[in-house]
Amino acid sequence: MIQVQGLSKSFGKVKAVQSVSFSAPDGQITGLLGPNGAGKSTTLRMLYTLLKPESGTAQVDGFDASQTPIEVQKRIGVLADARGLYPRLTSRENIRYYGRLHGLEGEVLEKQINALLTLLDMQAIADRKTEGFSTGEKLKVALARTLVHNPQNVLLDEPTNGLDVMSTRAIRHFILRLRDEGRCVLFTSHIMQEVAALCDQIVIISHGQVSATGSPDDLRKQTGKDNLEDAFVAAIGSEEGLA
Amino acid sequence: MIKKIMIIVQKELLDNLRDTRSWMTGLFWAMFGPILLGGMIMLLGNTIREKVEEALVLPVAGAENAPSLIAFLEQQDVIVQPAPADPESAVIAGDINVALIIPADYGENFSTGKTSTVQLIFDSTRQSAMADISRAQNLLESYGSYIGLLRLSLRGVSPEMIRVVQIEEVDTATPQSQALIFLSMLPYFIIFAIFNGASPVITDATAGERERGSLEPLLINPLPRGWVAVGKMISAMPFAIFNLTITLAGFAAVFGLLPMEELLGVQIGFDLGALAAVFLVCLPIVILACAIQTLIASFAKTTKEAGTYLPFVGLIPSLPGLALAFLPVKPELWTMLIPTFGQQILINQFLRAEPISEMNILISAVVTILLAGIITFIAIKLYEGERIIKG
Repeated sequence: MIQVQGLSKSFGKVKAVQSVSFSAPDGQITGLLGPNGAGKSTTLRMLYTLLKPESGTAQVDGFDASQTPIEVQKRIGVLADARGLYPRLTSRENIRYYGRLHGLEGEVLEKQINALLTLLDMQAIADRKTEGFSTGEKLKVALARTLVHNPQNVLLDEPTNGLDVMSTRAIRHFILRLRDEGRCVLFTSHIMQEVAALCDQIVIISHGQVSATGSPDDLRKQTGKDNLEDAFVAAIGSEEGLA
Repeated sequence: MIKKIMIIVQKELLDNLRDTRSWMTGLFWAMFGPILLGGMIMLLGNTIREKVEEALVLPVAGAENAPSLIAFLEQQDVIVQPAPADPESAVIAGDINVALIIPADYGENFSTGKTSTVQLIFDSTRQSAMADISRAQNLLESYGSYIGLLRLSLRGVSPEMIRVVQIEEVDTATPQSQALIFLSMLPYFIIFAIFNGASPVITDATAGERERGSLEPLLINPLPRGWVAVGKMISAMPFAIFNLTITLAGFAAVFGLLPMEELLGVQIGFDLGALAAVFLVCLPIVILACAIQTLIASFAKTTKEAGTYLPFVGLIPSLPGLALAFLPVKPELWTMLIPTFGQQILINQFLRAEPISEMNILISAVVTILLAGIITFIAIKLYEGERIIKG
């Protein structure tokens, strides 16, 4: 369960995020949709404790991200915009490192790693060094690393960026699966189709502000448009950044 | 807390041990000092020894003009050779070290009791010729005063009349202390090796982490960000200590394998005890080197940028060691208060087998560790801020 209330953040004179509020319940996929530079990643970064908000609160399962960052970090799995791996470590070692930092160890950790390797169909690359992995392979490792501590809340920043069709499909199925397990999934995207296909709830952000929020149907009704793309354009007031 | 820091340390150790190329580069710097110093000792040792043992070869032009001078020189074991046609260009070209020119009017002046002028041709900037030059000068001067004294005696004047001041040289420099000038460069190499052992690891763990895009996800893990900085700092220490050990072993090997007695005429007291003491004195520097480099590399956006800063960071604290070789400083209290400088003086003292104040060892260690602590604290604060993400 994620709750964001009146969140604001500036970098110098640029107001990246202004008074953003939304909530993402458990068992649902919430999509943050918006053009590039709209403030999606900054909002996520405040949620996952990397940046401190200037005002407002970001809460995960009732814990405040800036007051009790460690409690929040324990409860979230994050696929950040930066998703670099350690090229000299194998997939398994990359995942194990994060598992250990989350306090897992021994048999429990190894079992969890094996389960994720199977789930993401990556046994073949499990014990290879990640140097030279394809974008899809790297993403799988990063995703497994994100989920190694079995977090209730999963934050994914543009998870399908740069993937081919097959990998994109696999990741979308995976996201649906996370929801069906009852997790709170929050992800950002600027890809209309993806948001329409996956999200139970959409939060449209433009110029650092929430311009519309609701289910795909709600948004169509609110804007009086039949298709989601037109609804999106109507909500942000321009066609910039659409894909 | 310790457990999570150790997880980071273990990961960095594994990661960096696999990066053979970069720690081998660090290792190269550890070998650099001993090899360079060994080479210099061999080269200079050979020059000193040869010059002392060998007879002076002196090309002379116009030897026929001064038979008694030539006889005197030959009496002193000088091998007199005919000079080349153009002695000056031969000296410039480096074919000969020194040449003596005796003019045709030498004999006439000599017989009439006037001052006879001879020319000694040499290049005073050529270090390898210095021994030959000063021997030739000394021989000519002693011939001059010998003849002068003979003349005075013949005229019934006591030679002491003109010798107003007699200089009696008491040189306290033993052959050993001359050789120790080389050893004074040791602290420079040791400290440089420590810094260079740590820097590839630190660069990879800080600037490299940011460059790969793995810093942001790492900082989302549930541990205070400052511990990440501390873990990275600690993980570089084994590499720095390894380099320190290799350097010291290298110096020990150089002094053990080279026939120092033959080369420099001294035996160097760099035994296992001194080695262990130098190692312990240097441990606080290891902590400081890792702390300061972690802080600086954390500011760098890329490994390339970090690679331009860190060599200077290592150079600055090691430079006083180089200066110490030429400007000896007494181990006073204020010197111990300067981190790395105090240790360099202490290392020198160990090498010279001088009595060492335990208080000085303690003070230099405490001050160095204190500074390392302050820098670590700044690094922790840096990691806690937002700046660390972008660099």
